[in-house]
Amino acid sequence: MPAPLSPITLEVIVLSLGIFLLLAESFSRSEDKSWMARLSIVVLGVVFAWSFHTSGNAGIDLSKAFYSADETALFFKRLALLTTMIVQVMAIEYGGVLARFIPSSKTGAGTGEFYALPVLTCAGLMFMASAVDFLLIFVSLELVTISFYILVAYMRKQSTSLEAGVKYLILGALSTGFLVYGITWIFGLTGETNLFRIAQVLPGMLAEGGRLHDSQTPLLFGIILVLVSLGFKIAAAPFQIWVPDVYQGAPTPITAFLSVGSKAAGFIVLIRVIQPFIGLPEIGPKVMGALAVLAGLSLLYGNLAAMPQDNLKRMLAYSSIGHAGYLLVAVASTGPSLSTLGQSNVAVSFYLAGYLLMTLLSFLVMTVVANHSRGDDIIHFNGLAKRSPFLAFGMLISMLSLAGIPFTAGFYGKFLVFAAAVREHHFVLIGIGVVTVAAGFYYYLRVISAMYWQEPTDETPVTIRPLTRFTIGALILGIIFFGIFPATILEMLNSAPVQNTPIALQTSLK
Amino acid sequence: MTLNHYLLASGLLFAIGFAGVLLRRNIITIFMCLELMLNAANLSLVAFSRFNVTPGGLPNYNAQVLVFFIITVAAAEVAVGLAIIVALFRARQTTHVEDISTLKF
Repeated sequence: MPAPLSPITLEVIVLSLGIFLLLAESFSRSEDKSWMARLSIVVLGVVFAWSFHTSGNAGIDLSKAFYSADETALFFKRLALLTTMIVQVMAIEYGGVLARFIPSSKTGAGTGEFYALPVLTCAGLMFMASAVDFLLIFVSLELVTISFYILVAYMRKQSTSLEAGVKYLILGALSTGFLVYGITWIFGLTGETNLFRIAQVLPGMLAEGGRLHDSQTPLLFGIILVLVSLGFKIAAAPFQIWVPDVYQGAPTPITAFLSVGSKAAGFIVLIRVIQPFIGLPEIGPKVMGALAVLAGLSLLYGNLAAMPQDNLKRMLAYSSIGHAGYLLVAVASTGPSLSTLGQSNVAVSFYLAGYLLMTLLSFLVMTVVANHSRGDDIIHFNGLAKRSPFLAFGMLISMLSLAGIPFTAGFYGKFLVFAAAVREHHFVLIGIGVVTVAAGFYYYLRVISAMYWQEPTDETPVTIRPLTRFTIGALILGIIFFGIFPATILEMLNSAPVQNTPIALQTSLK
Repeated sequence: MTLNHYLLASGLLFAIGFAGVLLRRNIITIFMCLELMLNAANLSLVAFSRFNVTPGGLPNYNAQVLVFFIITVAAAEVAVGLAIIVALFRARQTTHVEDISTLKF
């Protein structure tokens, strides 16, 4: 057995891989650049396996660190790696479409970066999972966002892709502005950028005679600005205006990456950023109230606006807003005690893992079908069961899981979320949640009825590459397996210690 | 000059930038307003750094380091952003937001 790796080695390998791919691409003579995606899948797979053999960060004083490698961080790193691997499978499948919409003098020119940038994005997501200092949070968030600007606008001959890119650019930069200004205010009041240090100094400032004793408005202003900016990243209403347009216009693999990777990383940052504040009686309830409002709005807006959509990508965009709502319900149900923090984190992590499987499955099937039907409206899925029973079954499982049918990963995720909400007596949110789950059944089952009960306009069978077929099969098995045996993931998550968090620090100070 | 003067100036810059993003109709102008918002944050960070003196009598340099990172990230953002806007202009011959409405609610 070799000695366990220092956890940051994982990011270093991924980052080196991204830079290597960019360099190697400029010397490659081959017209087909999909070897870059295949190479990155292999390397990312090795890093994924290696992530189970790291030393963690026992003994590190996190109040002086930028980087934490606790179990939760490692779990989110694995989610990022898995997402990137599946996105690369989709990107290989998407290569033909991509080549059509890139202005180039010879075939294959200009497609290389499409396979290299997701790897760099993955490194950014992994850093975000570990960031415990506003400085690292900001830089890694921007690494992810700026790579996404390029990827969204990648198909320069298709005006919808460019338009989506510009919209994402403007609203992404706006949210960066809010984030930076919010960080500024939190720093100005506490004199710290490290979340653990902020947690240490805040109780003294709020106590009698402290700087913040009379008025907490400036601090709340800073926190709200940061929350607004993270609301953009996780696609929560009312900061969701960019989501439908960008999801519809972006290349399909990138839409999938955005909806899973960007959301997962946004949530781990959200969980970490609110930790120094939820334990404080003067500020905690206000932050939680704001999150509960965001959760309710996202649930209602996402699920109701998804119902009349005819384009599948656009429908999944609205459904992604709705899922951000369920996740926010779990975050808003974090109580000030350590055990409730642990339970909410487990609910969020499990939900995101299930969401990853089912969303990537639906986008993967969509990529294959859209390649053949030249469109991603729901009518293009008419009669898919006759053209390719395997693809139709994959889509069926992912839609059932997104809707939350028992024995799928999606059901157990929703169950954990509602359990957390019941414990914290958020009965209004539960009411909204139940109504929106019912609304969800309507629009997810519409896709299923199109596939199984409509006549196909085009009878030709759909051909699938072996790698794609394998990935779809693995995702289907994953969804069903974690739906029936959720304990396998839950045990891993429950072993994540909550001792090394800002809240634990505050509790020990009392 | 107290801390409040600097914060007022930076708040004003941030508000002007935000209002510009909401009201202006040319993408290049909107992009300039976004940069204004980032620079508002830089100004207040430097001000906070000078007025948050550490026990040793030095300014709190954490903030000034953060400023350098913000400047670098903003430069990267402008490089990518202007490239996307140029590509859009080539395709559409316009940088007016009202003309960019193929994707609709």
